[in-house]
Amino acid sequence: MTAEAQQMIDHIMHLIRKPGVTLDENTPLVSSGLIDSMALVDLLQKLEDLTHMRIPVGKVQPKDLDSVAKMFATAQRVGKPRK
Amino acid sequence: MAGLIPYENLIEALEAAPADRLFVTHWIDEDEHETATFGGFRDRSRAQAARLTESGVARGDRAIIIMPQGISAMATFAGAMMLGAVPAFLAYPNFKVEAEKYRSGLLGVSANLKAKAVVIDQEFPEEMLRCVSLGEHTKLMRAEEGAPARQFAPPAIHTADVAFLQHSAGTTGLQKGVALTHAAVVRQLGHLKKALRIDPSSDRIYSWLPLYHDMGLIACFMLPMVTHVPIVMQSPLEWVMRPESMLQIIDEHQCTLAWMPNFGFQFVPRRTPEDRKKKYDLSSLRALINCSEPVRGASMREFETAFGVKGEVLQSSYAMAENVFAVSQSELGKPPGQVSADGQQFRSAHRIVPVPESASAVSFTSSGRLLPEQKIRIRSDSGDELGEGFVGEILIQSDCLFDGYFSRPDLTAQAMEEGWYRSGDLGFMWQGELYVVGRKKDLLIIGGENIYPQDIEEIVAGHRAVHEGRVIALGVYNAELGTEEIVVVAELQSEALLSESAGIEQEIRQRIVAAMGVAARTILLTPPKWIVKSTAGKPSRSATREKLFREHPELRER
Repeated sequence: MTAEAQQMIDHIMHLIRKPGVTLDENTPLVSSGLIDSMALVDLLQKLEDLTHMRIPVGKVQPKDLDSVAKMFATAQRVGKPRK
Repeated sequence: MAGLIPYENLIEALEAAPADRLFVTHWIDEDEHETATFGGFRDRSRAQAARLTESGVARGDRAIIIMPQGISAMATFAGAMMLGAVPAFLAYPNFKVEAEKYRSGLLGVSANLKAKAVVIDQEFPEEMLRCVSLGEHTKLMRAEEGAPARQFAPPAIHTADVAFLQHSAGTTGLQKGVALTHAAVVRQLGHLKKALRIDPSSDRIYSWLPLYHDMGLIACFMLPMVTHVPIVMQSPLEWVMRPESMLQIIDEHQCTLAWMPNFGFQFVPRRTPEDRKKKYDLSSLRALINCSEPVRGASMREFETAFGVKGEVLQSSYAMAENVFAVSQSELGKPPGQVSADGQQFRSAHRIVPVPESASAVSFTSSGRLLPEQKIRIRSDSGDELGEGFVGEILIQSDCLFDGYFSRPDLTAQAMEEGWYRSGDLGFMWQGELYVVGRKKDLLIIGGENIYPQDIEEIVAGHRAVHEGRVIALGVYNAELGTEEIVVVAELQSEALLSESAGIEQEIRQRIVAAMGVAARTILLTPPKWIVKSTAGKPSRSATREKLFREHPELRER
């Protein structure tokens, strides 16, 4: 796992504040009810910071953000270099 | 007549616009904009009208449009109106929308409207359509640009024709397609034009509001189209991701008018870095109107302080799809009225007794004065008409009221009473201004989206461990967020199940997010017989709310 992916996992853990929950790169986030839409906005912003990319939100679907691994793959696929 | 709309229908107004005047600027990001002049927009609309005609859509047919926010979606909508068909925008699926919720909503709407066509864009995600059978009379069309195969001959449009349908959100709300005639919409736009002193030579509207919402459709599409005012818009998603872009656009394009729901007045300042707050020049704004959630003075002050806008620029309005849009509008050039009232008198006697501001006082911000030809009544629970300073349900009668919910005479009959529309909102009149304090109907408004508690209750009650019908979903205002949050109380089938509550709660959470796209803040699982029932034996939302706050003060509004 990359350092950025680990930072994202730490960020999500901080966000959900649920004792007893463990996360890895492939843990489903949205479909499991762990996070909701307002949190996704926050995660997308975090993803932009970690990847130094600008992610056109119109090109992102819920399934693209359902795990940390999928988030980074999505950034690679649709991200534009940040100015 | 000065100030009113000199056209009989919306398309006539569009046809009369100067061809080379800029109409829509769609701000995609810093380097990408798409624009259309009124002439260009008309051409694109005609092309869409021709395409719809080729697909068999005719006068009076419903056409559902599900396209990303942009000029193509607007031109398809206008094109459908040009041929006398009845368009309705539905929300485009985005990364926040769950496929399951989306599919069930789409099925419900297309079945209710018996739509002739559902128009989607080329990139529409396949999974959102999986298992959706639209029925044999409904055609799924992919929107295309470019010249159509044949010319389109516009039919005559009558003022009494239904121009389009507006939906409110939520699966229950999707059953209510608000049918609006050209005449009603034109009259509403006339009132707005006058109240806002709209001048096409100097005004420019900014919007991030979705086109399927009345603020986005009426204030930020129909109003500029009919009054020939340019509009600069961005997608709601872009705004949510980068709320600061709103300030950048208003500054760059010198926008003069904008609308947004109450939570935005807190969301934008809180998401804008401190060192950039004073970077933007918002002095072009004449009015930024707080609309579609109860107006909170504290939220307005937060925006005012953060960006140094003048207090009188922040305005307010009370609006709903059933009245096309606005019922009231605050007076330009003045901040909306405020009243500080005795909290005890307000809660127990539903009465406004002015007192100096203090911790025990409640303060309210007005939604302005009634627009011309708008009448309201404030009515008590027992049906008595109330005078100034008494809180009751707001009933509305006006010259722009809807024709009814499309093909739902049952729902229309519930909402109307001798020509008055029962809004379900609670409010009071004070010194000639209307104050809206909340809802009588149990609708929750989460970040500007209408959520019907019944929808959530049904989902939760579907869980095997929950006692049938013993669920209450409540909206609890969170001042920090400037909007409501969902709190669910559910009775378990037996005391024994309490030991499994952590797992049950997790499953319920999952179901709510999957179906509604929003997460509940708190799910309280209780032993049987915890929920307070009304005399009719049904769970009582208000009594359960009181019990909940008494026993769990930590869940109170914060």
